[in-house]
Amino acid sequence: MTNRGRTLVGLAGLALILAIAAPASTGPKDPGYAKAFSCSACHGWDGASRADTVPVLAGMPAWYLKKAIQDYASGKRPAAEMEPYAKMVLELGVDDVANYFARQPKPAPLAADPAAVERGRVAAAPCAVCHGTTGKGDPAKGVPDLTGQPAGYLRNQMLLFKADKRSPGEPTLSAVKALMKTIPDAQYADLAAYFASQR
Amino acid sequence: MTTMSRRAFLRSSGVGVGLGLAGGCAPAMKGDFAPKRGPRVVVIGGGWGGATAAKYVRLGDPAIEVILLEPNKQFVSCPLSNLVLSGVRSIDSLTFGYRGLRSHGVRIIHEAATAIEPDTKRVRVGEGYLQYDRLIVSPGIEFQTEQIAGLAEAGDQVLHAWKAGPQTVELARRLQAMPDGGVFVLTIPPIAYRCPPGPYERTCQVAWYLKHNKPRSKLIVLDANQNIVSKTGLFRAAWRDYPNIDYRASSKVVKVDTGAREVTTEFGDRVKYDVVNVIPPQRAGTIAVQADLVGADKRWCQVDHVTYESVKHKAVHVIGDSTIGLPVPKSGTVANAMGKICANAVVHLIGGKQPPAMPPVNVCYSWVSDKEAMAVINAYRIEGGKVVQIEQKLTPGQSQAFGQNALGWARSIWNDILG
Ligand SMILES: Cc1cc2nc3c(=O)[nH]c(=O)nc-3n(C[C@H](O)[C@H](O)[C@H](O)COP(=O)(O)OP(=O)(O)OC[C@H]3O[C@@H](n4cnc5c(N)ncnc54)[C@H](O)[C@@H]3O)c2cc1C
Ligand code: HEC
Ligand code: HEC
Repeated sequence: MTNRGRTLVGLAGLALILAIAAPASTGPKDPGYAKAFSCSACHGWDGASRADTVPVLAGMPAWYLKKAIQDYASGKRPAAEMEPYAKMVLELGVDDVANYFARQPKPAPLAADPAAVERGRVAAAPCAVCHGTTGKGDPAKGVPDLTGQPAGYLRNQMLLFKADKRSPGEPTLSAVKALMKTIPDAQYADLAAYFASQR
Repeated sequence: MTTMSRRAFLRSSGVGVGLGLAGGCAPAMKGDFAPKRGPRVVVIGGGWGGATAAKYVRLGDPAIEVILLEPNKQFVSCPLSNLVLSGVRSIDSLTFGYRGLRSHGVRIIHEAATAIEPDTKRVRVGEGYLQYDRLIVSPGIEFQTEQIAGLAEAGDQVLHAWKAGPQTVELARRLQAMPDGGVFVLTIPPIAYRCPPGPYERTCQVAWYLKHNKPRSKLIVLDANQNIVSKTGLFRAAWRDYPNIDYRASSKVVKVDTGAREVTTEFGDRVKYDVVNVIPPQRAGTIAVQADLVGADKRWCQVDHVTYESVKHKAVHVIGDSTIGLPVPKSGTVANAMGKICANAVVHLIGGKQPPAMPPVNVCYSWVSDKEAMAVINAYRIEGGKVVQIEQKLTPGQSQAFGQNALGWARSIWNDILG
């Protein structure tokens, strides 16, 4: 079991995750433990990023982490900072890495401006069809969980969609990208703040 | 740095283990001053490699006792320290304590290891010694001051600022105090040295500072190498914003004269300075040299690519900048990766198990202005017991977004090392 120093909220979150989601991590005995070592340099210890623009991997559903790795490795989702590591993870065994992070407790959301969160909640109505009202996503439709991701990261990804720089030309994402173009620039930070604040 | 380490050395006694100096108010550190009761790992050096390794041995198996030897009471990050020169960051924002490691049960003794005895598995600390089952050595680099005439005699008049700390702060002060129109000279040693892109990042930071604060000043860069050794194209592009840079390749500095305020290259060119920053040639930390862990070059340590065990001495592992032979740069990211992989290998070996073959990773972000950064990213695999590169990628240019990710990296990795 990881024994990283956590806030009470984090521990409560951990208890919740243990109760409802993936089985507890077996720590060093987990087959993904050592394979995930290198990720913490940017994504934080055990994937619990506290950095505004680097996504949290802790608690990320395994199916989505795998998809992201495959997209980075193939160059479909261009990102210089991930492509080489994605190739490495495929060699090491992406299932082990994905399962390892899925078993880690998701950290508590970073502090956010309540006014921005409230504006974001209102503006998020068009996102709900796919992401659900609180942003939990829908694995069946390939829609990721946005909750608790750092606001800077969410905003950057929305801007990449808008400029068609994330998975450029991908037909299944054309609706998302069209939607992003209709969103006023000022609203990006609010939407990001809202989803970032959700658990 | 020697003076600072020495002071820290003399001050330390706060961990209940004194120095065994005459006078003896602290308990003497003589003989086996902390008898071993179970499996024990001793780590030499609480920097990027060593602090990571100490933490991850405890995470991997809490039944293993870990003792970390580190003379300094605080960890000062070299990464981001070039931004102290430009005044963009404070040294305080790069300085951290070791509380986090203690909370993992790492026992920290703020002393320097003075010798290693591989045959008896002992580390000497002053007049006493510590017994170990496995030793992890991560002492960073030492300067080959003798390679540049006049450098040793110059003392603190010529700064390296290549170990973040008081020298970084003092170099920033000298840069600020330099009159507008003054010349700043930066000299770069031949590879291999700590942080290949570091001197070019420093070039950007000094040039950025001069551009905004001393527009009539210039920066002369005397590089012993034939070209920029890392991220060449990206740095060339970044330097287009800094016409105040006068970059001279193949200009190895062999002499410094503090009286005449000039340096001399191996071809006899003399260059005058108002402020000078000499980054001297380097080798593995002194303890690694004294303990015969270095190879025929007498500079760097060869290791097994899976366990980081020294090829020269059994049960002694070497990580970080002191190592050579892997196709990786001497970077903090690599030292951190080696720390985790080596810790895991050591836990396996102590438990009588085969360690998994895990490759390291590298990323080096470089700051080209106050807000913009770019990066080189390397991934590796292990093939036939050796680390080989899968791929190297550069960010497409520089940007504020990469600057944000660079801050994210720093935050994450500092926490991975010390949190
Ligand atoms: C200006 C600058 C910028 C840099 N920027 C980056 C960057 O952006 N990204 C990056 O990845 N890397 C960067 N680096 C490189 C990075 O700092 C080093 O690669 C890293 O510190 C190496 O880790 P280490 O453990 O080998 O050595 P260190 O971190 O130097 O740790 C060595 C420790 O060992 C201790 N020690 C030495 N001898 C003894 C002894 N006998 N007994 C006990 N303790 C001892 C020392 O006090 C020290 O604390 C930069 C370096 C510089 C100088
Ligand atoms: C150099 C720092 C760095 C390292 C090391 C790193 N990542 Fe990343 N990672 C990033 C950045 C930056 C992004 C955002 C990239 C983008 O814009 O798509 C990212 C994105 C991701 C994503 C996408 C998340 C999402 O919500 O879509 C996954 C999954 C991921 N990384 C997994 C990993 C794994 C697994 C490792 C270790 C093998 C790793 N990363 C190592 C920097 C890093
Ligand atoms: C038509 C369905 C759909 C709608 C509507 C939609 N999304 Fe998405 N969104 C997706 C899918 C699918 C992905 C995953 C894309 C991929 O796999 O690369 C995604 C990914 C994202 C991501 C990246 C998450 C990550 O971890 O990298 C963000 C941020 C995001 N959406 C925000 C929004 C916001 C904000 C809205 C509302 C303004 C919205 N989306 C509306 C389908 C949708």
